[in-house]
Amino acid sequence: MGLSVSMLPMKVVLLMLLIFLCYSVAYSSSSSETTMHTNNWAVLVCTSRFWFNYRHMANTLSLYRTVKRLGIPDERIILMLADDMACNARNKYPAQVFNNENHRLNLYGDNVEVDYRGYEVTVENFLRVLTGRHETAVPRSKRLLSDEGSHILLYMTGHGGDEFLKFQDSEELQSHDLADAVKQMKEKCRFKELLIMVDTCQASTLFSQFHSPGVLAIGSSMKGENSYSHHLDSDVGVSVVDRFTFYTLAFFERLNMYDNASLSSLFNSYNPNLLMSTAYYRMDLYQRHLEEVPVTNFFGSVMKTIYTDSAYRSWSNKKIRAAKSKMPLDQSIFDSDGRVLRKSDEEDQFNNLTAEDYIRDSVGQIWSAILSNVNTFESTDTFVCYGLVLMLPLLIFSTWLSSK
Amino acid sequence: MKKKKVQWFWSWVIGSVILRLILLYFPKNLNLSSRPEVSTPLTSLRRLAEGYWLKQSSVSPYAGSMYHGSPLLLTLLGPLTVTRVEGQPDHLLCSLVFVIADVICAMLIRAAGEKLQVAYSSRLQFLGLHNLSENSELLPSGDFAALVYLWNPFTIVACVGLSTSAIENLMVVLSLYGACSRLTPLAAFGWVMATHLSLYPAILIIPVILLLGYGPDAPPRKLFWQRKNLDVGNSTSSDSCSEEEAKNQLKMAHVFSWRLVVLFLFWTLLWSSYVLVLCGIYVQQYGGLQELFKRTYGFILTIQDLSPNIGVLWYFFAEVFDFFRNFFLIVFHGNILLMIAPLALRLNHRPCFLAFVYILISSMLKSYPSVGDSALYLGLLGLFAYELKDMQFSFFLFSGYVGVSLLSPVMHNLWIWRGTGNANFYFATAIAYACFQIILVVESVSAMLNHDRMLTKLYTAKLQNVKS
Repeated sequence: MGLSVSMLPMKVVLLMLLIFLCYSVAYSSSSSETTMHTNNWAVLVCTSRFWFNYRHMANTLSLYRTVKRLGIPDERIILMLADDMACNARNKYPAQVFNNENHRLNLYGDNVEVDYRGYEVTVENFLRVLTGRHETAVPRSKRLLSDEGSHILLYMTGHGGDEFLKFQDSEELQSHDLADAVKQMKEKCRFKELLIMVDTCQASTLFSQFHSPGVLAIGSSMKGENSYSHHLDSDVGVSVVDRFTFYTLAFFERLNMYDNASLSSLFNSYNPNLLMSTAYYRMDLYQRHLEEVPVTNFFGSVMKTIYTDSAYRSWSNKKIRAAKSKMPLDQSIFDSDGRVLRKSDEEDQFNNLTAEDYIRDSVGQIWSAILSNVNTFESTDTFVCYGLVLMLPLLIFSTWLSSK
Repeated sequence: MKKKKVQWFWSWVIGSVILRLILLYFPKNLNLSSRPEVSTPLTSLRRLAEGYWLKQSSVSPYAGSMYHGSPLLLTLLGPLTVTRVEGQPDHLLCSLVFVIADVICAMLIRAAGEKLQVAYSSRLQFLGLHNLSENSELLPSGDFAALVYLWNPFTIVACVGLSTSAIENLMVVLSLYGACSRLTPLAAFGWVMATHLSLYPAILIIPVILLLGYGPDAPPRKLFWQRKNLDVGNSTSSDSCSEEEAKNQLKMAHVFSWRLVVLFLFWTLLWSSYVLVLCGIYVQQYGGLQELFKRTYGFILTIQDLSPNIGVLWYFFAEVFDFFRNFFLIVFHGNILLMIAPLALRLNHRPCFLAFVYILISSMLKSYPSVGDSALYLGLLGLFAYELKDMQFSFFLFSGYVGVSLLSPVMHNLWIWRGTGNANFYFATAIAYACFQIILVVESVSAMLNHDRMLTKLYTAKLQNVKS
């Protein structure tokens, strides 16, 4: 009897622990809403070879240029080009690739970094890039090093069909393989949000098998439809761009890094009459409203900067990081020119955290009292200096006292 | 005769200050601060400047493993390393601080020497060895030791070479002076600061406690007991006044004054908590006190920096296997610790000399010795000039020191700059230096013990004369 009464507080404690565990599990499982958006990645794949598929190369390179212009650096772009058009023997303009017959824009400028080229663009390498399962010797520039806060843009272009995409004219990527790879990526927390853009014939069949949350996909045509090239460049001799990509670029050429154009405006800009196909997008796996998502979330890289005046506390980050990941995003305020200013009371929250770590026992309490007094000085240096200088008269006084 | 030295004393002091100033303003860069004998990872001012710069850039001053000293030194000397005066040499203000520290140290040695001499001669007189006490008063050991300290080339080089060992020596001498004059706050302050700046003066707590308890150096205590027995026997030999004085002397001789020791410990606690609070506030953002201790005391104890110096540990620890590293660290530091107890037992009636021996041993076996440490004990050696005047091998030692201090830079140059020598050349001079220090400690202790034996012999002979 006495045992059960004394066990009662133990039972209460255990019950509270259990509830706490449940909450934490539930909390962490919905972490996709609360993980912070850390960086943007782009995987741009051109899957077809031979000179007459010039337009696929130009598609990919124009999107590479757009993405770089809007802010994603080369170290976060994986560019896979299945053949070399710029230095092809048939190219009348060596080392130049155009996506328009007016030749206004040389896509193959002086700053193109191709990660997978020629015969390295295979289904196996593509899936290895997505899932991150490489041989140990693969260099970092060829890896997709995203984390659980990354937004990834996956753009694929080439020849495709019902539930497949042709690679190098010799193998296929099937839609369920792609869905499996994306599922693996989600399980390994390799992305927060994923936008897949496919420009092939019957493109929207390629993402019909997806089940992972956080995935948004748009294809240039629906099942049974073809995607067409835009125009023929009679000087180069082949078609230089596809319609879907052409209108996508037309949308982006109007933008710069700080514009707030949303994904829904991008998706609504596709006119089926001009495209000669229906651009179909799939948003049932994507939780956010497309009007709220700026295109720079995927196509550019606008980083959230946290402005603080205080010194960088490197050692305490280990304790703060645990708390930081639970911090919801919607505490940030958008400034007029697009930068984010964090509220100042969050700084106090961090201060409280480090102060709480110190308060372990009464000595810690005294210590925090001393610290709060110290922080009234403009710097600890002056306080320590005063303390040091004060030691001398104290010493003289005490010596005089003891010599009496 | 005592006044003879005093007239010229102050002129010698001023002369040494002028010499230091001349060397500071020397037109050609003497480059003394880059000599490994002078500046060690613990005492180098260049590293202090780097630590200060790191602190100003809101990074921990111990990041990068350059600075390993106390944050209080950083507060004191840091701003001085960056202030530049037009047309003056670099680090002028810091050098002036070191010069002032040297002068104050010399003054304190002189005052301690005076106190020691007064106490010693009064003890000798009490024992009846009057001619000995007159002889000891001939040589003003305090002045002599102060001048030795100021004019020692090692001290001058350490001061001009911008080594913070000047301040460490000042703290050690401050604690010894405070203990000699029975001023417990001063002694506690000196000991706490000396231990805080460099770890090794911690072992000086034993001589300081002995100094506070028993008083300054005195002949062996059994002589006083014999005198007591004699007095009990001859109660009619002296009048009441000197009998009182005799009783006081007896009390002082063999009664351990616990009150002073307890006061000293109290003041130690006070000063050390003050220092720790200040340091804790300074490093609160950079890992707290634990990080501070790891970087300062941990660095001293684990000998992480193996750049060559005038000690013997760098060569050894460059070769030792990692598996045995901890074992040999314990052995080397235990070497110092194991010598504490026997010396304390044997020399407990001479605590100041005990302190000198401890300083000598620790400056020989410490992790990063420099010539600034030798400057300290060579200065203190002058305090015991009367007792040690019959020391053997004194000329050999003197020439040895001169030879090592001349050859060591040469070997370093041969090894590092010309490439015609190797580490063994430099290490040979380091070993020779350690050997000379060992000979010095052995000979000085044996000379002191011989002096004690001579005192005992004289006293028992006198007693026999009185009895018969």
